[in-house]
Amino acid sequence: MTLPARRLPKDPRALEDLLRTGQVRRAPALFPRAPRPLSTGIEKLDAALGGGLARGQLHEIVAPAGAGGTALLHAALGATTRAGELCALIDPSDAFDPRRRGIDLRRLLWARPLDPVQALRAAEIALEARFALVALDLAGSGPKAARPRGVIEVVRFEKKLSSPGASPWARLARRAEKHGGALLVLGRAAQAGTFASATIELERGPTLWDGPPGAPGRLLRGVRAISAVARHKRMPPSGPLPLHLPLEAP
Amino acid sequence: MTRIACLWVPDLPLCAAVRAEPRLLGAPLAVVQAGDLGGRAHVLGATPLAEGVEAGQTLAEARAVCPALVHRQASPERERAAAQAALEAATAVSPRCEEAAPGLVYLDADGLSRLFGDDRGVARALVVAAERVGLRAAVGVAAGKSVALLAARAASPDLTFEPTPQGVAGGAFRVVAPEEQAAFLAGLPLLALDLPDELQQTLRRFGLHTLGEVSRLPPGPLAARLGPEGALLWRLAKGDDVSALAPRPPPVRFEEGEELEWDAQSIEPLLFVWKALLDRLAQRLRARGLMAREILLRLRLADGSWDDRAVDLAAPSREVGPLLQLLRLLVEGRPPAAGVTAVRLCAMPIAEVLDQLPLFGPRGASPVQLAAAVARLSALMGPERVGQPVAPDRWAPFAAEVTRFAPPPPPGVPEAPPAAQLELVARALRPPRTAEVRCDEAGRPLLVIGEGALGGRVVASAGPWRTVAEWWTDAPVALDSYDLEVAGGLLLRASRELSSGAWWIEAVYD
Repeated sequence: MTLPARRLPKDPRALEDLLRTGQVRRAPALFPRAPRPLSTGIEKLDAALGGGLARGQLHEIVAPAGAGGTALLHAALGATTRAGELCALIDPSDAFDPRRRGIDLRRLLWARPLDPVQALRAAEIALEARFALVALDLAGSGPKAARPRGVIEVVRFEKKLSSPGASPWARLARRAEKHGGALLVLGRAAQAGTFASATIELERGPTLWDGPPGAPGRLLRGVRAISAVARHKRMPPSGPLPLHLPLEAP
Repeated sequence: MTRIACLWVPDLPLCAAVRAEPRLLGAPLAVVQAGDLGGRAHVLGATPLAEGVEAGQTLAEARAVCPALVHRQASPERERAAAQAALEAATAVSPRCEEAAPGLVYLDADGLSRLFGDDRGVARALVVAAERVGLRAAVGVAAGKSVALLAARAASPDLTFEPTPQGVAGGAFRVVAPEEQAAFLAGLPLLALDLPDELQQTLRRFGLHTLGEVSRLPPGPLAARLGPEGALLWRLAKGDDVSALAPRPPPVRFEEGEELEWDAQSIEPLLFVWKALLDRLAQRLRARGLMAREILLRLRLADGSWDDRAVDLAAPSREVGPLLQLLRLLVEGRPPAAGVTAVRLCAMPIAEVLDQLPLFGPRGASPVQLAAAVARLSALMGPERVGQPVAPDRWAPFAAEVTRFAPPPPPGVPEAPPAAQLELVARALRPPRTAEVRCDEAGRPLLVIGEGALGGRVVASAGPWRTVAEWWTDAPVALDSYDLEVAGGLLLRASRELSSGAWWIEAVYD
């Protein structure tokens, strides 16, 4: 039901009730249709994101080690490059393995900065060059997630890497918006805060092994994980989306 | 009948100076040549505003005549570039060109009527082509090279100095129709020819002042008295061409150069010079419908040596801004060893590549933007850390290299995003991290002590898988590999070297 504006209740709570029950809807946007979003390569995640990774926006993947954050980042790179668009992977950890299948390497620019500050500058340069997707992999160099219990950690006293701080995210979000590229940041902990238009969180599930423990020929088959769009500026948070990550033979 | 056109740039040093600094045209300008061994500088040419200043005067004399005189040193680099630009202007009109001297080009004007109309159209096209590259040219069209040059010289009094953003305009032309040739030659004074002084004096003693008077003499006695030069002069006076056109292929590179009056020690003054050189290069490339696929930068250093560098563009371009940025990054990353005294830029041309905007979908990265981005990233982190990833053609776990980033053109219509298979990915550790691994009696890993969080009690494992490779090289590989799950959920790919028993963590699954 559409009511003339003058007859809408002035009480905000009453208006909220009408909006919540669907009796009043927002008017359709008058500006031109937004360009087609980039696929993450996973249909149910695309649906939860409202079609995929919106161009001109900053997106964040927050995942503990082993939960498939890198797999998700590479799936998005694979889907975008195979659709014929150019991608840049900013990889300060130097962790990318070019033997991985599924990514059109001809359309991927791989940059290996020496520290996180350089990585943020490199992402800015890539966004200015109008790459469709700029993937910033800070999983190996950004702030670490809370340490699980039972982990033995050997601490070495080495020179601490410079930290980018909080201000670069505002600049990167503005660059993405201005030049129309999607920025996808992978980290062990949330970093971009409110500058991220969507935050995808992953949670580690059980590891899948093939064969009895200790038996010869036992194989690591993959892991299960749970993903969810925990925060989105234009969409409600999604429910849990189970993921199966099989292991490709190295 | 054969038609030959002659494009002549009189006062080449002056035109080259004005072309390099067009703003000088509003001032009384003279180009001077420094004398040898500290001798006096003398004037090579001056603009009409420098009243009373003539070629051959010393600089002091010229300044006495014109106190407001602005002077510039003659620059071989500038003149070289201006002469090449003149040749390109001729090549833009006819493919059969011969450069007889710097700033003097003959071209075959036959068969150009469909493009430019009659001889006047060809001559006008040559004047415009020269002005497009910042040169003021005198053009002559006639039946042979010699007469065409005389026609161009006859047109030179009509030349004017008109400032343009590219340099100087105000060219003029003279067309000598076949039926007019005899009358044209008959009226020309012998002073219009570049004859040796001795021969000029002899002819004057004979009472000969014009070519017409020479042509009326019998050729035999003239040759007997004056030698071969006399015979040549008689043929010229009759309009016979003394040499045929010898066309040469057009230049394969476009060059612009500049000499500095001081040793540039920082990049800022070089940026001004490069900007002007790139502007002129882009102008010349645009006039020919070409783009640069590679830019070569030559810097002459204070010690006389040359520092050569190449800007390998990811895509052809003639946009000055990005090219200037690439040059800046190239030199900032590796500054020259000494001050710079001269600069030369060479553009390797390629046919024009147009950037087609997509009909569907958003506009992507243009080739020039890509080239600039790769250069900026290379300057930031080193060229060996930026490029297209490739797996080397050898067996080495998780080895990777980069190659030049040259993506294929985008598809015309965006393809539907294909479904991707989500797979667990191995994050390589480069170099592999050393670790201490405790094993049970059967050799199965029980505890991993590695750097940082790369360790813990082993809760599940698979392996070993033995690999023996590269035994034919100096760096053989022989190891047992394991997949380990440690407490906390970390999944590791660890390997034990068979020869030393050392353990490495090569990758983390994520």
